[in-house]
Amino acid sequence: MTKSPAALSLTGLTKRFGAMTAVDDISIDIREGEFFTIVGPSGSGKSTLVRLLAGLEAPTSGRLHLRGLDITAMPANRRPTAMVFQSLALFDHRSVGQNIEFAMKMKGVAPEARRLRALELLRLVRLPESYYARPVTQCSGGERQRVALARALGSDPEILFFDEPLSAIDYRLRKTLEVELKELHQRTGKTFIYITHSLEEAMVLSDRIAIMRAGRFEQIGTPDEIYRHPTSRFVASFMGEVNILAVSQTPAGPVFADLDCAAPEAAGAFAVLRPESLRPDASAPVTFAATVTQKLMLGSRTQFHLRAGQAALIAEIAAGSGASLSLGETARFGFDPADIAWVQA
Amino acid sequence: MMRRNPGFWFALPLIAAMLLFFAAPLVIVVWFSLMPPRSFDLTTDFGLQNYQSAFADGYGPPLMWSLIGATLTTAITAALAWPTAKILHRHAGRWASIVTALIALPIFISESVRLFGLSVFLMPGGGILAGTLKALFDVQIGTILNTRFAALLGMVYIHFPFMLFPMLLGVGMIPADRIEAAQDLGAGRWAILREVELPLAAPGLLVGGLLTFVLCLGANAEAAILGGRAVTVITAAIEQRFNYAQDWPMGAALTVLVILVTAALVFPAVRRIDLNRIIRR
Repeated sequence: MTKSPAALSLTGLTKRFGAMTAVDDISIDIREGEFFTIVGPSGSGKSTLVRLLAGLEAPTSGRLHLRGLDITAMPANRRPTAMVFQSLALFDHRSVGQNIEFAMKMKGVAPEARRLRALELLRLVRLPESYYARPVTQCSGGERQRVALARALGSDPEILFFDEPLSAIDYRLRKTLEVELKELHQRTGKTFIYITHSLEEAMVLSDRIAIMRAGRFEQIGTPDEIYRHPTSRFVASFMGEVNILAVSQTPAGPVFADLDCAAPEAAGAFAVLRPESLRPDASAPVTFAATVTQKLMLGSRTQFHLRAGQAALIAEIAAGSGASLSLGETARFGFDPADIAWVQA
Repeated sequence: MMRRNPGFWFALPLIAAMLLFFAAPLVIVVWFSLMPPRSFDLTTDFGLQNYQSAFADGYGPPLMWSLIGATLTTAITAALAWPTAKILHRHAGRWASIVTALIALPIFISESVRLFGLSVFLMPGGGILAGTLKALFDVQIGTILNTRFAALLGMVYIHFPFMLFPMLLGVGMIPADRIEAAQDLGAGRWAILREVELPLAAPGLLVGGLLTFVLCLGANAEAAILGGRAVTVITAAIEQRFNYAQDWPMGAALTVLVILVTAALVFPAVRRIDLNRIIRR
C-alpha cells in the first residue's frame, strides 16, 4: 500500500491564551479523504484547535501544512478550507441561494455559473430547488443545517471543518443528518475534520478518532480500537456507561479492591469492563455477589445497576435471555477476564 | 361605551394633547403659508403667491445649501462614526464606557457655547490654534473662520454623537461568527464590510443617518457663528422672515417646504426600520 500525502499536517501546534494553554503541542497527519473526528469534553481545547486549522486563530507556535504547503501564516479567507460553524452563522439577511453562492461570489464566479452550482449543491444536501430564493430565516433547523453544509461546499474546499454542528439538534434529526453526512463524505471524497463532544457520534461517522483532553490527544485510533482498547480510564469513561475496577496488590496477589475478589493476571492498574460483559452467571471465571439497586428496560436489553461491596456496577443483559432478577435481589454475577480492557491510568 | 372600548378612552388625553400641541401648530403654519404676503390674520383668502415667490425671490440657494450641508455632514459623520463604533464595540468595557461618556457629555452643553468655543479656537492671529502654533513653532497660519468649510466643520462636530450612538447599536447587531464565516468563505476586509457588516448594521445606520440629516436640515447656529456670511441656510432665512421682515406667510411657506423635503426622505426610510429588532438585541 502506497502512503498517500497528508491532507493536513500539524506539527507541534500550540495555542496559549495568557497562562492557559488551550492546545498543547499537537502533531498529527490527517490523510486525504479521511473522516477524522476530534472528541473531547467542553474546555478540552477542541474548538480552539479547529479554529487554528481554519485560520480563525493564529497558533502561538507550531506549523500547519496543507498537502505539503505551509499555511501557518495564511489568513482564513485565503485557505482552501471551509467550516460549518456550531451556530451555523448563516447570513440571515440573504436568501438560501445567496448563502450558498457566497464563496463563489468572493472568487468572482459569474452569476449564472454560481446559480447552477448552487442548485447542484441544493440537490446534494437534499433540499428542493425551490429553496433557492427562500430567505434562510424561513428554514427549519434541519434545513438550516443543510444550507450551512451547502454553503461550505460552495467554496469547493480541500478540507471541510465541522465545529459541533449537530449539538443543538434533537435526537431523531441528528441521527438522520449523521447518516447523510457520512454518505456525503463518501460521495464527495473530501477530507472531513469533525469536532464533537459525543463519542457515540464520532463512532458512527469517523474513520479515525482522536480523544482530546486538556489540550492534548489522549488517544488516536479507529472507532474499533477506541472502543475495544481504550488506553486510559478517561477514554474508557468517555464511551458512556462503563465499569472501571481498581486493582490493588496484596501478599496473596492482585485483587479487585472494591469487589474483594482475586484479579488473576492483572495487566494494568484498572480493569475496564463493558456492561454487556457482566452476566448473572455463577459459573463465569470471575464471580462476586451483587445486589440489584435499579432495573431499567432499554428495549433490546435490560440494564441492572448493581452494588457489590464498595463498587457500583452496571450490567446489561439481552432481553429474553432469561434473567428474571428483581429489585433488591442478591445474586452471583461474573465476567470473563478476557473481556477486560486493561489501562494503567 | 366606556366598557366596550376602554382603549379609546385611555388614549383620549394623549390624542387631545397631540391635536392641540402637534397638529394645530402645523395646521396654523400651513394656513399662514397660504395667506397674502405680510398679513397677520388667518382668513379664507387662500393663495399660492408665497410659494411662487419662494423660488422667484432667491430662496432656492439657501434651501440647496441646507440640503448639501445636511448630506455632507451625514456622510462625513457616518464615515467617522463607523470605525469609532467598531473600536468601542470591540473594546467594550470600562475604557470604552469612559470614551463613550466623553463623547456624550458635550451634548449637555448649549450648542452655541460649544460653537463659540470652536470659533475662539479657530480665530486668526490670537486664536487658540493659530496662537499656539505661532508661539511654539513660529508658524503663521490663516484661518478658515467665516468660510463654508468652517460651517461644515461645526456641523460635523455638533452632530457626531447623534450619528455615533445609533451606529453603536447597529454595530452591536453584527454577530462575530457571521464575520468569521465570511472570512472563512474567502471574503476580504471590504467584502466583509459590504456583504455582511453594513447590511446587518443597517437599522442603526439608517436611524443615525436620519437623525443627523434632519437635525442638520434645521441647523442654523453653525453657519451663523462659524460660517459668518459665507453661507445662508434655509433656517436662517426662515428666522429672518419671521423676526425681522415681519412676513409670517413667507416664513410659513418656507417652513412647509422644509417639512415636505424632510417628510419625503424620512417616511420611506422609517418604513424600512424595525425598531423592535434594534431594542431586543
